[in-house]
Amino acid sequence: MKKVVIIGGSAAGMMAAISAARQGKSAEVTVLSADAAAYRRPGIPALISGYISQPGQAGVFSNDVLARHNIKLLCPVEVTDINAGEKVVTYEGEGGKGKLAFDSAVIATGGYPIIPKIKGADKKGVCTFTTFEGAQQIVNAVSDADSAVVIGAGFIALEIAEALMHKGLDVYFNVRSRILRKIVEPEVSEHLSRRFEREGLKMLMGETISEIGGGESIQYVVHKGKKIPTKVVIMGTGMRPNVALAEKCGIKLGQSGAIKVDSRMQTSVPNIYAAGDCAESPDLGTGRFVYSPVGSIGAMAGRIAGRNAAGGNEKTEGFLRAQADEILGLQIFSIGHSTTTAKEVGLKVKVQDLEVPEQVEKAYGPKAFEMAKILTDENDRIVGAQLVTSRYGSQYAWQLYRAVLASEDRAEFLEHFISPRAKFAGALVQTITSTISVESFEGGESLTWRNAPKQQSVKNR
Amino acid sequence: MDKIIVVNIDKCLACKSCEIACAVAHSRSKELQEAVAESPRPQRMLSVEAAGEYGVPIQCRHCEAAPCIEICPTGAIQRASDEGPVVVDEDLCIGCKLCLLICPFGILKIGSEGRAIIKCDMCIERLEVGEQPECVAACPTGALVCISLDEHTGSKRKKASQHLAKKSGGGTDSKTRKKDK
Repeated sequence: MKKVVIIGGSAAGMMAAISAARQGKSAEVTVLSADAAAYRRPGIPALISGYISQPGQAGVFSNDVLARHNIKLLCPVEVTDINAGEKVVTYEGEGGKGKLAFDSAVIATGGYPIIPKIKGADKKGVCTFTTFEGAQQIVNAVSDADSAVVIGAGFIALEIAEALMHKGLDVYFNVRSRILRKIVEPEVSEHLSRRFEREGLKMLMGETISEIGGGESIQYVVHKGKKIPTKVVIMGTGMRPNVALAEKCGIKLGQSGAIKVDSRMQTSVPNIYAAGDCAESPDLGTGRFVYSPVGSIGAMAGRIAGRNAAGGNEKTEGFLRAQADEILGLQIFSIGHSTTTAKEVGLKVKVQDLEVPEQVEKAYGPKAFEMAKILTDENDRIVGAQLVTSRYGSQYAWQLYRAVLASEDRAEFLEHFISPRAKFAGALVQTITSTISVESFEGGESLTWRNAPKQQSVKNR
Repeated sequence: MDKIIVVNIDKCLACKSCEIACAVAHSRSKELQEAVAESPRPQRMLSVEAAGEYGVPIQCRHCEAAPCIEICPTGAIQRASDEGPVVVDEDLCIGCKLCLLICPFGILKIGSEGRAIIKCDMCIERLEVGEQPECVAACPTGALVCISLDEHTGSKRKKASQHLAKKSGGGTDSKTRKKDK
């Protein structure tokens, strides 16, 4: 019986636990979580929107799942020490206290939010959202507020801003540099700011707010010398890897300050693995280890760490970062490298605008997508792509994803990136209607298969 | 896939019987009277969309090379069996939304509880015992049919050849496509 201990119960930790349980059928898996339940962070905007009210609802990892995979969960407990020599972890907290022997361990302690040094940032009403309690704090804080200030530039900060707007609050969005700085090009950021502003999000650009003012609770914030009344400030200003525990037991850190791992997700100490927001991960293509705190990468890394911890031997060549979200009616995709992340791994990239293909323009008008960029390396291979669309971008996003995954040649890609709609419509028509092929015999274009009147007689809801 | 759901939009009345049947099929009680009172409300996995003057019931196509399966970082989206429908293991979903935005048909969505992605499972337990999916069974006009690919292409071949025959003056089925003229 191989004893596997997982420290951390969010996406990376739980994926590691489930993979470990599946890998070695006889593995005895225990998860130690500092949170009140095992849950995933992306569920937090749902909490703010009011869809959910309990950690258990955000946490997909219910007791049933844990029982089915024979995973033991201890929470909330804080792991105070890992003794790598004797292979024992020490934990204590509300969920119990004790020592646990292990054969292998996975560290998935995640990250903690960076709180910028702003005057008054310690006031009641300043919230972060990396834990369920933090999110609950936001819910309580906004319940009687008319406005809120969200500081940050990432997807989750934007999602939270949107959730608050839907609640009827005036939402100010404060970005020091630009929206999604790390994952999209400046031009795309600019475009997004303009679009979000039009949707009613109040942008505070250029610099971080200089002061959070008021008495005991917040009354106003100061941005560029201007006072803005608000009761709530939400910080989404980035993540730092939570490596205190790893450092304590002598595990080496990488240049980024996150836990250094190899392609098996093993740390510098044998039999101790790491995954998620606390660890580095290899970048697909260059193979360089970088810090990229993204849920999907954490989950992929967690799966590998878990399997290896349970006795497997799985290596990764690297993970492709792909992030997508729909915010205020805009679909935003960022796949692979941006100029910012490319610089981190020492990749020289060229950015190119992607034109709306002619056929698509004919069918949809010139606004089939609002903005699309591809990034190519020195050999003209595609290493990154970004796409903003307000309608139906998935067909382009899929092509872009495949191109980046295969690091396709730019010229080749542009040649076949011509008629997604024609391709798609063909597929749609073939599977969805049984009448189409008849019309296509009539010599006309197979795609203009019906001249439907413009007005809408079927009301959708 | 052995079977696919084929939609004949000419026959769709946009009555949304399929939507109701789907929501009931994915409720806890599986009974309409009880399902409406359930919390969270049972959700439908297909929807009848307005397109011009037509109603189009659109549901997961269970694509052969499914983008959602390929992009899922946790392996939560898989085929139930080699020839089976594409299904979600809600336990593994971390809510990263990649599948939701990559799906060419816009089918996947986050469940109302915000827990995980939900999608059409083609009523897999009904298929296993040789029954039709609920939406197909509920369709009053036969706009939705669940048939094998061979059956489907066979009927298309037949229609197409009838049409060609008619074009050359020897049509057997005078009703074919008359209303489009």
